[in-house]
Amino acid sequence: MKLSQDVLLGLFFVVFGVVSVSVAMSYPFGTSGRMGPGYFPVIISSLLVLTGLLVLFRSQFVQPEMLPAIRWKPLFLIPGAVVIFGLAVETLGLPLAVLLLTILTAATSIKFQIGWKAVAGSLAFAALCSVVFIELLGLPIPIVGSWLRVLGF
Amino acid sequence: MDIFNGLLLGFSTATTLSNFAYCFAGVLLGTAVGVLPGLGPIATISMLLPFTFGLPVDTALIMLAGIFYGSQYGGSTTAILMNLPGEASSVVTTLDGHQMAKQGKAGRALAAAAIGSFFAGTVGTLFIVIAAPLLASLALTFGPAEYFSLIMLGLITSMVLTSGSLLTAFGMALFGIVLGMIGTDINTGAARYTFGSPYLLDGLDFVVVATGIFGLGDVLMNLENERSRVVGVAPVSSLFPTAEDWRRMSAPILRGTGIGVLLGVLPGAGVLLASFSAYALEKKISKHPEQFGKGAIEGVAAPEAANNAAAQTCFIPMLTLGLPGTATMALMIGALVVQGVQPGPEILSQQPALFWGLVVSMWLGNLMLLFLNLPLVGMWAKLISVPYHFLFPTICVFMAIGVYSINNSVFDVYMMALFGVLGYFFKRMGAEPAPLILAMILGPMAEEYLRRTLLISHGDASVFFTSPLSLGTLVVAALLLLSIVSPRFRKVREEGLQEAD
Repeated sequence: MKLSQDVLLGLFFVVFGVVSVSVAMSYPFGTSGRMGPGYFPVIISSLLVLTGLLVLFRSQFVQPEMLPAIRWKPLFLIPGAVVIFGLAVETLGLPLAVLLLTILTAATSIKFQIGWKAVAGSLAFAALCSVVFIELLGLPIPIVGSWLRVLGF
Repeated sequence: MDIFNGLLLGFSTATTLSNFAYCFAGVLLGTAVGVLPGLGPIATISMLLPFTFGLPVDTALIMLAGIFYGSQYGGSTTAILMNLPGEASSVVTTLDGHQMAKQGKAGRALAAAAIGSFFAGTVGTLFIVIAAPLLASLALTFGPAEYFSLIMLGLITSMVLTSGSLLTAFGMALFGIVLGMIGTDINTGAARYTFGSPYLLDGLDFVVVATGIFGLGDVLMNLENERSRVVGVAPVSSLFPTAEDWRRMSAPILRGTGIGVLLGVLPGAGVLLASFSAYALEKKISKHPEQFGKGAIEGVAAPEAANNAAAQTCFIPMLTLGLPGTATMALMIGALVVQGVQPGPEILSQQPALFWGLVVSMWLGNLMLLFLNLPLVGMWAKLISVPYHFLFPTICVFMAIGVYSINNSVFDVYMMALFGVLGYFFKRMGAEPAPLILAMILGPMAEEYLRRTLLISHGDASVFFTSPLSLGTLVVAALLLLSIVSPRFRKVREEGLQEAD
């Protein structure tokens, strides 16, 4: 079986559906007049498995579309940078978290060059975000995070 | 409350200084973000959501609506000047709009779009004024069986109107329903799919999933072919339509408005179907069909009018039934729930100021768009040409802050990262995520109404076919499904939707 769009998507549906059915089996099923929490999930997930199988079945008859090459760098770095933002926003505070997120995401671009312009731009942007979201909009996000406060900032 | 008093109340709500100012701010911000290439209304709304958090409910809703049609309008500007549709419904606008721009008639194309949109917006708003109270009083007589059938119709329409195969769309909708079931089951209190995590007890936040899939997923997708992104903005010259333009576009605007108003109400169809049908109709009845695709002003005015009329009337099912017709409306419901408002038939009687204020502000917003956008088009053109490598880090930051501030929860930020990767995966696999988003919010509603229906009927499913309204709705849904088998419809669907990718 060659890897194609349909094969990957079908596998995704089947695997997710099977996991979902097996989890839902542990909930009380009930009857159609008095449905338990498992009734709807079992039906929907079974349909998902079935759909996945049909997609896999279909993939055998359709000319497979070539999967284009994947640029792995943004695919890992951008979600990774978002996670780092999540780790940093309460511990280091908003300005530092924005700074990290800006530089890490910008670094995935093919046009990125580290230099004083990039650093100055990110610093200014981090400051701007802090003013807009915390001062103007009043969102309850710390400017100085919990770790830094321990250190005495 | 009759319509006249309602409108009076609406005017007094919408014209308070702060509501007026936030409506303006919403329209302005929405357009500014909406013109950025590759950002559709969903990504725009979720990015700008934090700006509405601190506001009172009516002001927040007014601003959100402003952001919504601002972003839609901005999308059309980008479609005309750059040939880059921000979302599926502006694909049609690129066909003739960008051709006009290439011929040096960009200003007249923009003016046709703006005038068509304003006219359609006015009619659409009037239609809401008349139809929404009627539908709301009718909706009070709806039982769970009717609601269930309407939800099915919405889901099926959105699947049929998605590019790619129906089977894939069906799978995406089922996946969305499973995502929607995560959390505490409202009927029994049982925790489902939470894997013992306290963060999942309230379910996945809908806005988080939508931001991840549409916002972050699109960023990842755009970076894929960063090298091949061509940025070319057509210059804008005279903004005034000639007498000839007026003559050619007035009838198409009228017809487009009619189509848009009616199709916008249909659950699941919304804006996309309206603009495609309006374009197809104009091409069909035109005396010069060969000009279409080569810069016919009718091909800009009609779909833009239809698109904006539908953008207004798709609020009707959302506000009166609590059922979102499109992925964007689903996001609006998500945003309303954050504000503590549950849309439904009671909203009109219980919060009349909210409803009428919103309706009047929609019209004011459209008026602002007309006066704001034509003179400012030079500024938007500059915004469009900001290179993508400056844009996407900014977009990521705004989305991350926005998602965090919904519940002040870091968990939501991680979820957004996860769904960003999933959104990228789906797009690479040729699976359109719109049915997933709609199903995530409609799925749990469907379960709830199904339960109630079958509880009343003691497990007898024939009630769905004995209630005339429910039967009628299901018949329409079945016809839609069948229509896809017809080769003629298939051809139209493929032609119309494939370019939406």
